[in-house]
Amino acid sequence: MIAASPSALRTGVIASLGLAILCVLSLFVGVSPLSPGRVLSDTEALQLLLVSRLPRTLAALLAGAGLAIAGLIMQTLSRNRFVEPATAGTAQSAELGILVVTLLLPGAALWAKTLVAGIAALAGTSVFLFTAHRLPPTQPFLVPLFGIVYGGVVGAAATFIAWQADLLQFLSIWTNGDFSGVLRGRYELLWITALMVAVAWFVADRLTIMALGREASIGLGIDYARMMRIGLVLVSLITALSVVVVGMIPFVGLAVPNIVSRLKGDNVRGTLGWVAAGGAGLVLACDIVGRLIRYPYEIPVGTVMGVVGAALFLWLLFRRGSHG
Amino acid sequence: MNFPRFLPAFAALVLSALSASAMDVSTARGTVSVEGVPKTIAVYDAAAIDTLNRLGIHPAGVPDKLYVPELEAAKGNATAVGTLFEPDLEALSALAPDLVIVGSRSAAKAEVTARIAPTLDMTIDGDNLFADAKVRLATYGDLFGKAEEAKAAAEELDAKLAAAKAAVAGKGKALIVMTNGPKVSAYGPGSRFGWVHGVLGLPPAMEDIQSATHGEAVSFEFIREANPDWLLVLDRAVAVASSEQAAKVTLDNELVAGTTAWKKGQIVYLPAAEFYIADGGVQSLGRVLAAITDGFSAAK
Repeated sequence: MIAASPSALRTGVIASLGLAILCVLSLFVGVSPLSPGRVLSDTEALQLLLVSRLPRTLAALLAGAGLAIAGLIMQTLSRNRFVEPATAGTAQSAELGILVVTLLLPGAALWAKTLVAGIAALAGTSVFLFTAHRLPPTQPFLVPLFGIVYGGVVGAAATFIAWQADLLQFLSIWTNGDFSGVLRGRYELLWITALMVAVAWFVADRLTIMALGREASIGLGIDYARMMRIGLVLVSLITALSVVVVGMIPFVGLAVPNIVSRLKGDNVRGTLGWVAAGGAGLVLACDIVGRLIRYPYEIPVGTVMGVVGAALFLWLLFRRGSHG
Repeated sequence: MNFPRFLPAFAALVLSALSASAMDVSTARGTVSVEGVPKTIAVYDAAAIDTLNRLGIHPAGVPDKLYVPELEAAKGNATAVGTLFEPDLEALSALAPDLVIVGSRSAAKAEVTARIAPTLDMTIDGDNLFADAKVRLATYGDLFGKAEEAKAAAEELDAKLAAAKAAVAGKGKALIVMTNGPKVSAYGPGSRFGWVHGVLGLPPAMEDIQSATHGEAVSFEFIREANPDWLLVLDRAVAVASSEQAAKVTLDNELVAGTTAWKKGQIVYLPAAEFYIADGGVQSLGRVLAAITDGFSAAK
């Protein structure tokens, strides 16, 4: 256990306050005018809050936390800092799964689509991880490079099928992360993400040991193959859920775990909460920005995150690490 | 000058000027001169195929997929020469047409097809769609010697417009939305669908929706706040013949249910392919106007 020092406690309080402020902002930013006072007095305002604003805020928190955790797990399992679901074929595989189920079973329910997308993501991520482990560990940049090429190949297959079936625009609109369609009754599947995060917390210590490599973790008594499977299922399900419900949001899984690791080190149990909160806050902030830039129209959160995330990532690359 | 060699050339020139009169055709890129009446034509634009079909002209080459069911049926034994976006140059070459017509989606390929045959860019612009559609109709009538039919078609279209105008008059404000799976965009005056507001005198529920080809991504709260008396809905998934989540499912939620349009059942689903893909074809315009007339007339 890491003892909570006064300074750690202070950052904790500041971070929770920041997240709380973002949540309140998210609840009261939107096309329809809504103020805290009116919610208490006006039933219509309360209904708007419950039907539209609260689900949207929760969806952003869940998707952000989930994707950041998925990135953390992927980085731990592949022992490489520069991979995340959006760059290593997981999201593209989920997309391919959705496309196939859309073509073959157009009337399928959302949960069935999620299941197919999840299985596709699982298959895609397994291929990535098992190949990544064969790459020489002395060349750390080979893993992300392979991930980008591999993701590109899977994405190209999806694009080709979509093009053949006249679904190209549909695919691009659907898979670009966007919370504008989130309403009560249309995001609840994302709660499974919270469950996945809980499982990740449960196996956190074993994940930390996994980062030491196969031999070391087997030597320390870890069932390596089983842990790998658990990690894969977590990453694939979280990614598939967010792709199906809100679309792809890039960079969250890459930037957040890296920043937290700089500040807090690599103990998964110690950083898990920070990564989840960081991802949730980042996605929520980007969604609020997307709602405001062209008010009353929307900029999809995937687009905002593309810009913000790229800036964060460049900052990470050019700034010398202060930790470790 | 070598007189015996000059004479046949001169004679040919005079003859061609007498027999095949060149016609000046106004296109989206200015005036182009076309010699004689084209016989074998290839058309890469659903609106143009639609209008030509009304005039009884059947192109020898058309895209493999036209999306509009009526046009799909009227193809006859035309050769497929590519798609609405991308000409298949080998097939086009084999067809050896006298004239190629491109428009909107295929307009960017005009330079490429021009290497095979004279090409007209007959794109119809969103701002002035209705007026432009009638100009194109008259042009095709003159070009193919069907001026009488073109005149009759224009009159029919005007009659449908008048009926639609009468139907929408005084019935309140409307919002045009396009659904794409679970997401919605809104269109206003000045957009590609803006002609509906302009030509019919149908007041928009939101004045300042900026003109963007693909509309403005909006939330359901936006629709709730606009609170239109009428929702004109285009289901893009239907337009491209995908059976994805229908517009009705997307719109059926607690926020849209609060609008006047939903409460009164004043929702008009526009014929998707006609409105979105063959926009500007005279028969398509006629069917869109008829759908609007029917929808608005049903209101109490």
